[in-house]
Amino acid sequence: MSKNKQIRRIFFIIVITVLSLALCICAGSVLLSAGEMAEIISYKLFGKQLSDAANVSNVSILWDIRMPRVFCAFFAGAALSLSGAVMQAVLQNPLASSYTMGVSAGASLGAAIVIITGAAGSIFGYFLLPAAGFGAGLLTVFLVIAFAAKIDRNMHNNTLILFGMVFSLFVNAMLTILSTMSSEHVQRLIMWQMGSFSGKRWVHVAALCVCTLIGGFLLIFFHRELDIMTFGEEPAMSIGVDIKRKKTMLLAIASFLTGAAVCFSGIIGFVDLTVPQIVRKIFGSKHSVVLPMSMLLGGVFMALADMVSRTIMAPREIPVGAVTAMIGVPVFVWIYFKGRD
Amino acid sequence: MLIRCENVVCGYGRTPSDNPVLKGINLEIEEGKSYCILGANGCGKTTLLRAISGMLPYQGSITLGDKQVSKLKRKEIASCIAMLSQISQIYFSYTVEEAVMLGRYLYADNFLGIPSKRDREIVSECIEKNGLKELKDRQISSLSGGQMQRMLLARTMAQMTPIIVLDEPTNHLDLKYRAELESFLKEWKKDSGHTLIAVFHDINSAIEIGDEFIFMKEGQIVSERAKENFLDGDELQEIYGMDVKLYMKKQLLFWK
Repeated sequence: MSKNKQIRRIFFIIVITVLSLALCICAGSVLLSAGEMAEIISYKLFGKQLSDAANVSNVSILWDIRMPRVFCAFFAGAALSLSGAVMQAVLQNPLASSYTMGVSAGASLGAAIVIITGAAGSIFGYFLLPAAGFGAGLLTVFLVIAFAAKIDRNMHNNTLILFGMVFSLFVNAMLTILSTMSSEHVQRLIMWQMGSFSGKRWVHVAALCVCTLIGGFLLIFFHRELDIMTFGEEPAMSIGVDIKRKKTMLLAIASFLTGAAVCFSGIIGFVDLTVPQIVRKIFGSKHSVVLPMSMLLGGVFMALADMVSRTIMAPREIPVGAVTAMIGVPVFVWIYFKGRD
Repeated sequence: MLIRCENVVCGYGRTPSDNPVLKGINLEIEEGKSYCILGANGCGKTTLLRAISGMLPYQGSITLGDKQVSKLKRKEIASCIAMLSQISQIYFSYTVEEAVMLGRYLYADNFLGIPSKRDREIVSECIEKNGLKELKDRQISSLSGGQMQRMLLARTMAQMTPIIVLDEPTNHLDLKYRAELESFLKEWKKDSGHTLIAVFHDINSAIEIGDEFIFMKEGQIVSERAKENFLDGDELQEIYGMDVKLYMKKQLLFWK
Protein backbone atom coordinates (compact mmCIF):
# COMPACT_ATOMS: atom_id res chain seq x y z
CA MET A 1 0.00 0.00 0.00
CA SER A 2 1.41 3.35 -0.94
CA LYS A 3 2.21 5.85 1.74
CA ASN A 4 -0.11 8.52 0.38
CA LYS A 5 -3.04 6.18 0.30
CA GLN A 6 -2.31 5.26 3.89
CA ILE A 7 -2.18 8.90 4.96
CA ARG A 8 -5.43 9.65 3.13
CA ARG A 9 -7.10 6.79 4.94
CA ILE A 10 -5.82 7.95 8.32
CA PHE A 11 -7.09 11.44 7.60
CA PHE A 12 -10.45 10.00 6.56
CA ILE A 13 -10.76 8.10 9.85
CA ILE A 14 -9.97 11.26 11.83
CA VAL A 15 -12.67 13.19 9.99
CA ILE A 16 -15.15 10.36 10.59
CA THR A 17 -14.25 10.41 14.28
CA VAL A 18 -14.97 14.11 14.68
CA LEU A 19 -18.20 13.99 12.67
CA SER A 20 -19.47 10.92 14.50
CA LEU A 21 -18.80 12.43 17.89
CA ALA A 22 -20.68 15.56 16.86
CA LEU A 23 -23.57 13.44 15.63
CA CYS A 24 -23.67 11.47 18.88
CA ILE A 25 -23.74 14.68 20.90
CA CYS A 26 -26.55 16.20 18.83
CA ALA A 27 -28.78 13.15 18.54
CA GLY A 28 -30.98 11.98 21.38
CA SER A 29 -34.39 12.43 22.90
CA VAL A 30 -33.86 16.17 22.51
CA LEU A 31 -32.46 16.77 19.06
CA LEU A 32 -29.99 19.63 18.81
CA SER A 33 -28.62 21.28 15.71
CA ALA A 34 -24.91 21.44 15.00
CA GLY A 35 -25.09 25.22 15.44
CA GLU A 36 -26.59 24.90 18.89
CA MET A 37 -23.97 22.36 19.83
CA ALA A 38 -21.15 24.63 18.70
CA GLU A 39 -22.71 27.55 20.56
CA ILE A 40 -23.13 25.66 23.81
CA ILE A 41 -19.63 24.21 23.68
CA SER A 42 -18.04 27.57 23.03
CA TYR A 43 -20.19 29.07 25.81
CA LYS A 44 -18.94 26.44 28.24
CA LEU A 45 -15.33 26.41 27.13
CA PHE A 46 -14.67 30.05 26.26
CA GLY A 47 -17.46 31.85 28.06
CA LYS A 48 -18.96 33.15 24.81
CA GLN A 49 -22.43 34.71 25.17
CA LEU A 50 -25.40 32.50 24.32
CA SER A 51 -27.78 33.83 21.70
CA ASP A 52 -31.46 34.08 22.61
CA ALA A 53 -32.31 30.99 20.59
CA ALA A 54 -30.36 28.73 22.88
CA ASN A 55 -32.46 27.09 25.49
CA VAL A 56 -30.98 26.98 29.00
CA SER A 57 -32.17 23.45 29.59
CA ASN A 58 -30.45 22.39 26.39
CA VAL A 59 -27.18 23.63 27.85
CA SER A 60 -27.55 21.29 30.76
CA ILE A 61 -28.73 18.37 28.61
CA LEU A 62 -25.80 18.73 26.30
CA TRP A 63 -23.05 19.60 28.73
CA ASP A 64 -24.02 17.66 31.84
CA ILE A 65 -25.69 14.59 30.39
CA ARG A 66 -24.94 13.92 26.80
CA MET A 67 -21.33 14.93 26.36
CA PRO A 68 -20.00 12.97 29.34
CA ARG A 69 -21.95 9.98 28.10
CA VAL A 70 -20.61 10.23 24.55
CA PHE A 71 -17.03 10.70 25.68
CA CYS A 72 -17.30 7.89 28.19
CA ALA A 73 -18.46 5.58 25.42
CA PHE A 74 -15.69 6.87 23.18
CA PHE A 75 -12.89 6.21 25.64
CA ALA A 76 -14.31 2.87 26.76
CA GLY A 77 -14.49 1.77 23.12
CA ALA A 78 -10.97 3.05 22.51
CA ALA A 79 -9.60 1.19 25.52
CA LEU A 80 -11.37 -2.03 24.63
CA SER A 81 -10.26 -2.13 21.03
CA LEU A 82 -6.69 -1.17 21.93
CA SER A 83 -6.53 -4.06 24.33
CA GLY A 84 -8.13 -6.35 21.77
CA ALA A 85 -5.49 -5.42 19.20
CA VAL A 86 -2.73 -6.19 21.70
CA MET A 87 -4.21 -9.47 22.89
CA GLN A 88 -4.65 -10.72 19.35
CA ALA A 89 -1.06 -9.95 18.44
CA VAL A 90 0.51 -11.22 21.65
CA LEU A 91 -1.47 -14.43 21.76
CA GLN A 92 -1.09 -14.76 17.99
CA ASN A 93 -4.75 -15.53 17.74
CA PRO A 94 -7.28 -13.37 15.91
CA LEU A 95 -10.03 -14.58 18.22
CA ALA A 96 -8.33 -13.64 21.47
CA SER A 97 -9.39 -10.74 23.66
CA SER A 98 -8.98 -9.65 27.26
CA TYR A 99 -12.18 -11.51 27.94
CA THR A 100 -10.35 -14.68 26.93
CA MET A 101 -7.92 -13.97 29.74
CA GLY A 102 -10.68 -13.79 32.33
CA VAL A 103 -11.03 -10.03 32.82
CA SER A 104 -14.80 -9.98 32.38
CA ALA A 105 -15.45 -12.99 34.56
CA GLY A 106 -13.26 -11.58 37.33
CA ALA A 107 -14.81 -8.13 37.06
CA SER A 108 -18.33 -9.60 37.24
CA LEU A 109 -17.47 -11.53 40.35
CA GLY A 110 -15.95 -8.45 41.97
CA ALA A 111 -19.02 -6.38 41.13
CA ALA A 112 -21.32 -9.16 42.32
CA ILE A 113 -19.63 -9.30 45.70
CA VAL A 114 -20.03 -5.56 46.13
CA ILE A 115 -23.68 -5.61 45.04
CA ILE A 116 -24.63 -8.62 47.14
CA THR A 117 -22.95 -7.45 50.32
CA GLY A 118 -24.93 -4.24 49.93
CA ALA A 119 -21.84 -2.07 49.93
CA ALA A 120 -22.86 -0.67 46.56
CA GLY A 121 -25.82 1.12 48.15
CA SER A 122 -23.72 3.44 50.29
CA ILE A 123 -22.07 6.63 49.06
CA PHE A 124 -18.85 4.77 49.34
CA GLY A 125 -20.28 2.25 46.86
CA TYR A 126 -20.37 4.82 44.08
CA PHE A 127 -16.68 4.25 43.57
CA LEU A 128 -16.51 0.85 45.18
CA LEU A 129 -18.39 -0.91 42.41
CA PRO A 130 -16.05 0.12 39.58
CA ALA A 131 -13.02 -0.33 41.81
CA ALA A 132 -14.05 -3.87 42.76
CA GLY A 133 -14.73 -4.74 39.13
CA PHE A 134 -11.39 -3.33 38.08
CA GLY A 135 -9.44 -5.00 40.88
CA ALA A 136 -11.06 -8.40 40.53
CA GLY A 137 -10.65 -8.33 36.74
CA LEU A 138 -6.95 -7.59 37.00
CA LEU A 139 -6.49 -10.12 39.80
CA THR A 140 -7.95 -12.84 37.61
CA VAL A 141 -5.58 -12.05 34.75
CA PHE A 142 -2.69 -11.91 37.16
CA LEU A 143 -3.59 -15.38 38.46
CA VAL A 144 -3.93 -16.70 34.92
CA ILE A 145 -0.47 -15.39 33.98
CA ALA A 146 1.11 -16.55 37.23
CA PHE A 147 -0.25 -20.08 36.92
CA ALA A 148 0.60 -20.31 33.24
CA ALA A 149 4.16 -19.18 33.96
CA LYS A 150 4.47 -21.65 36.79
CA ILE A 151 3.29 -24.63 34.77
CA ASP A 152 4.82 -23.69 31.44
CA ARG A 153 8.21 -22.05 31.76
CA ASN A 154 8.01 -20.40 28.36
CA MET A 155 4.43 -19.25 28.80
CA HIS A 156 3.20 -20.51 25.47
CA ASN A 157 0.11 -18.87 24.02
CA ASN A 158 -1.95 -22.01 24.18
CA THR A 159 -1.19 -22.38 27.87
CA LEU A 160 -2.28 -18.80 28.48
CA ILE A 161 -5.50 -19.15 26.51
CA LEU A 162 -6.29 -22.45 28.18
CA PHE A 163 -5.72 -21.05 31.65
CA GLY A 164 -7.71 -17.94 30.79
CA MET A 165 -10.68 -20.02 29.77
CA VAL A 166 -10.41 -22.41 32.69
CA PHE A 167 -10.23 -19.53 35.16
CA SER A 168 -13.15 -17.78 33.49
CA LEU A 169 -15.28 -20.88 33.82
CA PHE A 170 -14.25 -21.33 37.42
CA VAL A 171 -15.00 -17.72 38.32
CA ASN A 172 -18.29 -17.86 36.44
CA ALA A 173 -19.27 -20.89 38.47
CA MET A 174 -18.61 -18.97 41.69
CA LEU A 175 -20.71 -16.13 40.29
CA THR A 176 -23.59 -18.51 39.54
CA ILE A 177 -23.49 -19.90 43.05
CA LEU A 178 -23.40 -16.41 44.55
CA SER A 179 -26.33 -15.20 42.51
CA THR A 180 -28.54 -18.22 43.24
CA MET A 181 -27.87 -17.69 46.93
CA SER A 182 -29.08 -14.10 46.78
CA SER A 183 -31.62 -13.95 44.00
CA GLU A 184 -32.89 -10.50 45.02
CA HIS A 185 -29.74 -8.93 43.60
CA VAL A 186 -29.71 -10.84 40.34
CA GLN A 187 -31.57 -8.13 38.43
CA ARG A 188 -29.05 -5.47 39.33
CA LEU A 189 -26.12 -7.73 38.59
CA ILE A 190 -27.45 -8.61 35.16
CA MET A 191 -27.97 -4.92 34.39
CA TRP A 192 -24.38 -4.21 35.41
CA GLN A 193 -23.07 -7.03 33.26
CA MET A 194 -24.99 -5.90 30.19
CA GLY A 195 -23.21 -2.60 30.28
CA SER A 196 -24.48 0.93 29.92
CA PHE A 197 -23.22 4.49 29.67
CA SER A 198 -26.25 6.15 31.18
CA GLY A 199 -25.72 8.52 34.08
CA LYS A 200 -22.04 9.04 33.40
CA ARG A 201 -20.47 12.31 34.51
CA TRP A 202 -17.34 14.22 33.63
CA VAL A 203 -15.46 12.58 36.48
CA HIS A 204 -15.94 9.22 34.76
CA VAL A 205 -14.77 10.69 31.49
CA ALA A 206 -11.66 12.03 33.15
CA ALA A 207 -10.80 8.70 34.77
CA LEU A 208 -11.37 6.72 31.59
CA CYS A 209 -9.55 9.26 29.45
CA VAL A 210 -6.48 9.18 31.66
CA CYS A 211 -6.42 5.36 31.75
CA THR A 212 -6.88 5.04 27.99
CA LEU A 213 -4.26 7.63 27.12
CA ILE A 214 -1.71 6.18 29.53
CA GLY A 215 -2.33 2.68 28.18
CA GLY A 216 -2.19 3.82 24.58
CA PHE A 217 0.97 5.82 25.20
CA LEU A 218 2.73 2.86 26.78
CA LEU A 219 1.64 0.48 24.06
CA ILE A 220 2.95 2.55 21.19
CA PHE A 221 6.48 1.90 22.43
CA PHE A 222 5.88 -1.80 21.87
CA HIS A 223 4.65 -1.55 18.31
CA ARG A 224 7.57 -3.47 16.83
CA GLU A 225 7.48 -6.19 19.45
CA LEU A 226 3.78 -6.62 18.65
CA ASP A 227 4.57 -6.92 14.94
CA ILE A 228 7.25 -9.50 15.64
CA MET A 229 5.13 -11.54 18.03
CA THR A 230 2.48 -12.13 15.37
CA PHE A 231 5.02 -14.35 13.62
CA GLY A 232 5.19 -16.75 16.52
CA GLU A 233 7.23 -17.18 19.64
CA GLU A 234 10.30 -18.91 18.26
CA PRO A 235 10.87 -16.41 15.43
CA ALA A 236 10.29 -13.57 17.90
CA MET A 237 12.95 -14.93 20.26
CA SER A 238 15.35 -15.40 17.38
CA ILE A 239 14.86 -11.78 16.29
CA GLY A 240 15.77 -10.74 19.83
CA VAL A 241 12.50 -10.12 21.66
CA ASP A 242 12.59 -11.18 25.29
CA ILE A 243 9.26 -12.84 24.79
CA LYS A 244 8.29 -13.80 28.30
CA ARG A 245 8.96 -10.39 29.76
CA LYS A 246 7.38 -8.41 26.94
CA LYS A 247 4.39 -10.71 26.87
CA THR A 248 3.75 -10.20 30.57
CA MET A 249 4.06 -6.43 30.24
CA LEU A 250 1.79 -6.25 27.22
CA LEU A 251 -0.84 -8.52 28.76
CA ALA A 252 -0.77 -6.39 31.89
CA ILE A 253 -1.28 -3.13 29.98
CA ALA A 254 -4.04 -4.63 27.84
CA SER A 255 -5.82 -6.01 30.89
CA PHE A 256 -5.50 -2.66 32.61
CA LEU A 257 -7.23 -1.03 29.63
CA THR A 258 -10.03 -3.60 29.57
CA GLY A 259 -10.38 -3.37 33.32
CA ALA A 260 -10.78 0.40 33.13
CA ALA A 261 -13.44 0.14 30.42
CA VAL A 262 -15.32 -2.69 32.10
CA CYS A 263 -15.43 -1.11 35.50
CA PHE A 264 -17.15 2.04 34.23
CA SER A 265 -19.38 0.56 31.59
CA GLY A 266 -19.95 -3.09 32.40
CA ILE A 267 -19.13 -5.89 30.06
CA ILE A 268 -19.55 -4.87 26.46
CA GLY A 269 -18.38 -7.48 24.05
CA PHE A 270 -17.49 -7.47 20.42
CA VAL A 271 -15.70 -4.13 20.13
CA ASP A 272 -12.36 -5.56 21.20
CA LEU A 273 -12.72 -8.47 18.82
CA THR A 274 -14.01 -6.72 15.71
CA VAL A 275 -12.50 -3.27 15.57
CA PRO A 276 -8.83 -4.33 15.42
CA GLN A 277 -9.70 -6.86 12.73
CA ILE A 278 -11.42 -4.20 10.66
CA VAL A 279 -8.50 -1.84 11.16
CA ARG A 280 -6.05 -4.51 9.99
CA LYS A 281 -8.14 -5.08 6.88
CA ILE A 282 -8.03 -1.39 6.04
CA PHE A 283 -4.51 -0.44 7.11
CA GLY A 284 -2.49 -3.65 7.13
CA SER A 285 -1.07 -5.16 10.30
CA LYS A 286 1.68 -2.74 11.30
CA HIS A 287 0.94 -1.87 14.88
CA SER A 288 2.34 1.63 14.65
CA VAL A 289 -0.83 2.32 12.65
CA VAL A 290 -3.12 -0.39 14.00
CA LEU A 291 -2.91 0.86 17.60
CA PRO A 292 -3.92 4.51 17.09
CA MET A 293 -6.48 3.64 14.45
CA SER A 294 -8.05 0.93 16.64
CA MET A 295 -8.30 3.51 19.36
CA LEU A 296 -10.15 6.02 17.17
CA LEU A 297 -12.35 3.54 15.38
CA GLY A 298 -13.15 1.63 18.55
CA GLY A 299 -14.17 4.86 20.24
CA VAL A 300 -16.35 5.93 17.34
CA PHE A 301 -17.94 2.51 17.10
CA MET A 302 -18.84 2.50 20.78
CA ALA A 303 -20.13 6.10 20.76
CA LEU A 304 -22.36 5.32 17.77
CA ALA A 305 -23.57 2.06 19.33
CA ASP A 306 -24.43 3.94 22.50
CA MET A 307 -26.29 6.57 20.47
CA VAL A 308 -28.34 3.86 18.78
CA SER A 309 -29.01 2.17 22.11
CA ARG A 310 -30.53 5.33 23.59
CA THR A 311 -32.38 6.64 20.53
CA ILE A 312 -33.76 3.74 18.56
CA MET A 313 -36.46 2.78 21.07
CA ALA A 314 -36.50 6.05 23.02
CA PRO A 315 -37.38 6.67 25.76
CA ARG A 316 -36.44 3.06 26.48
CA GLU A 317 -32.83 2.08 26.27
CA ILE A 318 -31.59 -1.18 24.88
CA PRO A 319 -28.32 -2.61 26.23
CA VAL A 320 -25.35 -1.20 24.34
CA GLY A 321 -23.73 -4.64 24.23
CA ALA A 322 -26.62 -5.91 22.13
CA VAL A 323 -26.17 -2.97 19.77
CA THR A 324 -22.42 -3.48 19.36
CA ALA A 325 -23.04 -7.07 18.36
CA MET A 326 -25.96 -6.27 16.07
CA ILE A 327 -24.13 -3.53 14.18
CA GLY A 328 -20.78 -5.20 14.48
CA VAL A 329 -21.55 -8.61 13.09
CA PRO A 330 -22.76 -7.51 9.65
CA VAL A 331 -20.04 -4.87 9.36
CA PHE A 332 -17.46 -7.43 10.32
CA VAL A 333 -18.72 -10.01 7.83
CA TRP A 334 -18.90 -7.45 5.07
CA ILE A 335 -15.39 -6.12 5.64
CA TYR A 336 -13.95 -9.54 6.13
CA PHE A 337 -15.21 -10.94 2.86
CA LYS A 338 -14.74 -7.74 0.88
CA GLY A 339 -11.14 -7.36 1.95
CA ARG A 340 -10.13 -10.88 1.08
CA ASP A 341 -7.65 -11.21 -1.72
CA MET B 1 35.88 -22.09 18.93
CA LEU B 2 32.52 -20.48 18.25
CA ILE B 3 30.04 -22.76 19.95
CA ARG B 4 30.83 -25.59 22.31
CA CYS B 5 28.27 -27.98 23.75
CA GLU B 6 29.33 -30.14 26.65
CA ASN B 7 27.12 -32.91 27.89
CA VAL B 8 23.94 -31.02 27.00
CA VAL B 9 20.72 -32.52 28.29
CA CYS B 10 17.50 -30.78 27.42
CA GLY B 11 13.88 -31.30 26.55
CA TYR B 12 10.40 -29.93 27.01
CA GLY B 13 9.55 -31.18 30.49
CA ARG B 14 9.44 -29.24 33.74
CA THR B 15 13.20 -29.59 34.12
CA PRO B 16 15.75 -30.21 31.35
CA SER B 17 16.44 -33.74 32.58
CA ASP B 18 12.76 -34.63 32.86
CA ASN B 19 12.12 -36.83 29.83
CA PRO B 20 14.92 -35.22 27.79
CA VAL B 21 15.07 -35.08 24.02
CA LEU B 22 18.82 -34.41 23.92
CA LYS B 23 20.67 -36.93 26.04
CA GLY B 24 24.22 -35.70 26.47
CA ILE B 25 25.33 -33.79 23.38
CA ASN B 26 28.99 -32.91 22.90
CA LEU B 27 29.69 -30.71 19.92
CA GLU B 28 32.12 -28.09 18.70
CA ILE B 29 31.21 -25.60 16.01
CA GLU B 30 34.05 -23.78 14.28
CA GLU B 31 33.86 -20.42 12.62
CA GLY B 32 33.21 -20.19 8.90
CA LYS B 33 32.14 -23.75 8.33
CA SER B 34 28.74 -25.10 7.48
CA TYR B 35 27.31 -27.89 9.55
CA CYS B 36 24.40 -30.07 8.55
CA ILE B 37 22.54 -32.05 11.16
CA LEU B 38 20.99 -35.24 9.83
CA GLY B 39 18.92 -37.97 11.36
CA ALA B 40 15.53 -39.62 11.40
CA ASN B 41 12.38 -37.81 12.53
CA GLY B 42 12.24 -37.17 16.25
CA CYS B 43 15.94 -37.67 16.90
CA GLY B 44 16.35 -34.17 18.34
CA LYS B 45 17.69 -32.15 15.41
CA THR B 46 15.41 -29.17 15.88
CA THR B 47 15.76 -29.36 19.66
CA LEU B 48 19.52 -29.10 19.28
CA LEU B 49 19.10 -25.94 17.18
CA ARG B 50 16.77 -24.47 19.80
CA ALA B 51 19.20 -25.26 22.60
CA ILE B 52 22.08 -23.65 20.73
CA SER B 53 19.94 -20.57 20.09
CA GLY B 54 19.16 -20.29 23.79
CA MET B 55 15.47 -20.99 23.47
CA LEU B 56 15.35 -23.94 25.84
CA PRO B 57 16.66 -24.37 29.36
CA TYR B 58 19.40 -26.98 29.39
CA GLN B 59 21.69 -28.95 31.66
CA GLY B 60 25.40 -29.08 30.92
CA SER B 61 27.12 -26.27 29.12
CA ILE B 62 26.62 -24.42 25.85
CA THR B 63 29.09 -21.62 25.30
CA LEU B 64 28.93 -18.98 22.64
CA GLY B 65 32.41 -17.51 22.37
CA ASP B 66 33.38 -17.60 26.03
CA LYS B 67 29.93 -16.99 27.48
CA GLN B 68 27.32 -19.40 28.70
CA VAL B 69 24.24 -19.15 26.45
CA SER B 70 21.77 -19.36 29.34
CA LYS B 71 23.40 -16.28 30.92
CA LEU B 72 23.09 -14.14 27.81
CA LYS B 73 20.26 -11.73 27.19
CA ARG B 74 17.89 -12.39 24.29
CA LYS B 75 19.29 -9.45 22.34
CA GLU B 76 22.87 -10.56 22.86
CA ILE B 77 22.09 -13.97 21.43
CA ALA B 78 20.11 -12.45 18.58
CA SER B 79 23.09 -10.35 17.57
CA CYS B 80 25.17 -13.55 17.14
CA ILE B 81 22.67 -16.18 16.02
CA ALA B 82 19.74 -15.76 13.66
CA MET B 83 17.43 -18.71 13.34
CA LEU B 84 15.07 -19.60 10.55
CA SER B 85 12.31 -21.67 12.10
CA GLN B 86 9.98 -23.93 10.25
CA ILE B 87 7.02 -22.02 8.86
CA SER B 88 4.12 -21.79 11.24
CA GLN B 89 0.67 -20.39 10.67
CA ILE B 90 0.73 -16.62 10.34
CA TYR B 91 -2.60 -14.90 10.92
CA PHE B 92 -1.67 -11.29 10.40
CA SER B 93 -0.58 -9.85 7.13
CA TYR B 94 2.33 -7.56 6.42
CA THR B 95 4.00 -6.64 3.17
CA VAL B 96 7.17 -8.57 2.35
CA GLU B 97 9.26 -5.47 2.98
CA GLU B 98 7.65 -4.76 6.36
CA ALA B 99 8.17 -8.36 7.42
CA VAL B 100 11.84 -8.43 6.41
CA MET B 101 12.37 -5.09 8.17
CA LEU B 102 11.42 -6.76 11.46
CA GLY B 103 14.75 -8.59 11.25
CA ARG B 104 16.40 -5.24 11.97
CA TYR B 105 14.68 -5.00 15.37
CA LEU B 106 17.95 -5.27 17.26
CA TYR B 107 19.60 -2.36 15.57
CA ALA B 108 16.97 0.30 16.02
CA ASP B 109 18.56 3.00 18.11
CA ASN B 110 15.64 5.40 18.25
CA PHE B 111 12.99 4.25 20.64
CA LEU B 112 10.08 4.41 18.23
CA GLY B 113 12.00 2.06 15.98
CA ILE B 114 11.98 4.06 12.78
CA PRO B 115 14.32 2.27 10.35
CA SER B 116 17.56 4.04 9.46
CA LYS B 117 18.99 4.42 5.98
CA ARG B 118 21.34 1.52 6.62
CA ASP B 119 18.41 -0.68 7.74
CA ARG B 120 16.62 0.10 4.49
CA GLU B 121 19.69 -0.70 2.42
CA ILE B 122 20.28 -4.01 4.12
CA VAL B 123 16.65 -4.98 3.85
CA SER B 124 16.43 -4.21 0.16
CA GLU B 125 19.67 -6.11 -0.42
CA CYS B 126 18.35 -9.16 1.41
CA ILE B 127 15.07 -8.95 -0.48
CA GLU B 128 16.90 -8.76 -3.78
CA LYS B 129 19.26 -11.63 -3.00
CA ASN B 130 16.33 -13.87 -2.22
CA GLY B 131 14.61 -13.00 -5.49
CA LEU B 132 11.74 -11.15 -3.88
CA LYS B 133 12.26 -7.74 -5.42
CA GLU B 134 9.06 -7.84 -7.48
CA LEU B 135 7.13 -9.11 -4.49
CA LYS B 136 8.27 -6.59 -1.93
CA ASP B 137 4.92 -4.81 -1.68
CA ARG B 138 2.87 -7.99 -1.70
CA GLN B 139 0.98 -9.08 1.40
CA ILE B 140 2.68 -12.12 2.88
CA SER B 141 -0.69 -13.83 3.24
CA SER B 142 -0.76 -14.10 -0.55
CA LEU B 143 2.69 -15.70 -0.89
CA SER B 144 3.21 -19.31 -1.83
CA GLY B 145 5.02 -21.63 0.56
CA GLY B 146 8.30 -21.21 -1.30
CA GLN B 147 8.02 -17.44 -1.45
CA MET B 148 7.20 -17.38 2.24
CA GLN B 149 10.28 -19.46 2.99
CA ARG B 150 12.45 -17.04 1.02
CA MET B 151 10.87 -14.08 2.79
CA LEU B 152 11.72 -15.66 6.15
CA LEU B 153 15.25 -16.38 4.96
CA ALA B 154 15.61 -12.74 3.89
CA ARG B 155 14.51 -11.66 7.36
CA THR B 156 16.98 -14.04 8.99
CA MET B 157 19.77 -12.62 6.85
CA ALA B 158 18.73 -9.05 7.60
CA GLN B 159 19.75 -9.73 11.19
CA MET B 160 23.37 -9.72 9.91
CA THR B 161 24.62 -12.25 12.42
CA PRO B 162 27.87 -14.25 12.13
CA ILE B 163 25.99 -17.49 12.76
CA ILE B 164 22.87 -18.55 10.90
CA VAL B 165 20.78 -21.49 12.03
CA LEU B 166 18.34 -22.99 9.55
CA ASP B 167 15.63 -25.48 10.39
CA GLU B 168 14.69 -27.34 7.21
CA PRO B 169 15.27 -24.38 4.88
CA THR B 170 14.39 -26.30 1.71
CA ASN B 171 10.96 -27.29 2.99
CA HIS B 172 8.12 -25.98 0.84
CA LEU B 173 10.47 -25.17 -2.02
CA ASP B 174 10.03 -26.66 -5.46
CA LEU B 175 13.08 -28.06 -7.24
CA LYS B 176 14.07 -24.87 -8.98
CA TYR B 177 14.12 -22.77 -5.83
CA ARG B 178 15.64 -25.57 -3.86
CA ALA B 179 18.56 -25.70 -6.29
CA GLU B 180 18.76 -21.93 -6.27
CA LEU B 181 18.71 -21.78 -2.51
CA GLU B 182 21.39 -24.43 -2.24
CA SER B 183 23.78 -22.65 -4.55
CA PHE B 184 22.85 -19.33 -3.05
CA LEU B 185 23.64 -20.52 0.47
CA LYS B 186 26.96 -21.94 -0.71
CA GLU B 187 27.95 -18.73 -2.43
CA TRP B 188 26.77 -16.56 0.38
CA LYS B 189 28.69 -18.55 2.93
CA LYS B 190 31.85 -18.51 0.83
CA ASP B 191 31.76 -14.73 0.41
CA SER B 192 30.78 -13.73 3.87
CA GLY B 193 32.51 -16.32 6.02
CA HIS B 194 29.33 -17.00 7.94
CA THR B 195 28.91 -20.05 10.06
CA LEU B 196 25.94 -22.10 9.07
CA ILE B 197 24.16 -24.73 11.14
CA ALA B 198 21.29 -26.40 9.35
CA VAL B 199 18.90 -29.27 9.83
CA PHE B 200 17.87 -31.21 6.77
CA HIS B 201 15.69 -34.19 6.29
CA ASP B 202 16.79 -34.31 2.68
CA ILE B 203 20.31 -35.79 2.54
CA ASN B 204 20.92 -34.49 -0.97
CA SER B 205 20.32 -30.86 0.03
CA ALA B 206 22.62 -31.35 2.98
CA ILE B 207 25.41 -32.73 0.80
CA GLU B 208 25.11 -29.70 -1.46
CA ILE B 209 25.55 -27.21 1.35
CA GLY B 210 27.47 -28.80 4.19
CA ASP B 211 31.17 -29.11 5.02
CA GLU B 212 30.62 -31.10 8.16
CA PHE B 213 27.85 -33.57 8.89
CA ILE B 214 26.47 -34.40 12.28
CA PHE B 215 24.39 -37.55 12.51
CA MET B 216 21.95 -37.92 15.34
CA LYS B 217 19.97 -40.81 16.67
CA GLU B 218 17.67 -40.86 19.69
CA GLY B 219 18.96 -37.63 21.17
CA GLN B 220 22.63 -38.36 20.78
CA ILE B 221 25.28 -37.61 18.22
CA VAL B 222 26.38 -40.91 16.73
CA SER B 223 28.81 -39.65 14.16
CA GLU B 224 30.53 -36.52 12.88
CA ARG B 225 31.94 -36.61 9.38
CA ALA B 226 33.51 -34.27 6.89
CA LYS B 227 32.12 -34.32 3.37
CA GLU B 228 35.04 -36.31 1.96
CA ASN B 229 34.45 -38.92 4.54
CA PHE B 230 30.66 -39.34 4.36
CA LEU B 231 28.98 -42.33 5.96
CA ASP B 232 28.77 -45.51 3.95
CA GLY B 233 25.57 -47.41 3.27
CA ASP B 234 25.63 -49.57 6.37
CA GLU B 235 26.15 -46.64 8.69
CA LEU B 236 23.34 -44.70 7.05
CA GLN B 237 21.09 -47.69 7.41
CA GLU B 238 21.87 -47.75 11.10
CA ILE B 239 20.83 -44.13 11.48
CA TYR B 240 17.77 -43.96 9.27
CA GLY B 241 16.57 -47.52 9.82
CA MET B 242 16.41 -48.16 6.10
CA ASP B 243 18.74 -48.79 3.19
CA VAL B 244 19.25 -45.19 2.13
CA LYS B 245 21.74 -45.91 -0.61
CA LEU B 246 19.52 -48.48 -2.26
CA TYR B 247 16.64 -46.03 -2.20
CA MET B 248 18.70 -43.26 -3.82
CA LYS B 249 19.99 -45.64 -6.46
CA LYS B 250 16.46 -46.75 -7.27
CA GLN B 251 15.48 -43.14 -7.79
CA LEU B 252 18.47 -42.54 -10.06
CA LEU B 253 17.63 -45.57 -12.17
CA PHE B 254 14.53 -43.83 -13.44
CA TRP B 255 16.53 -40.95 -14.92
CA LYS B 256 18.91 -43.09 -16.95
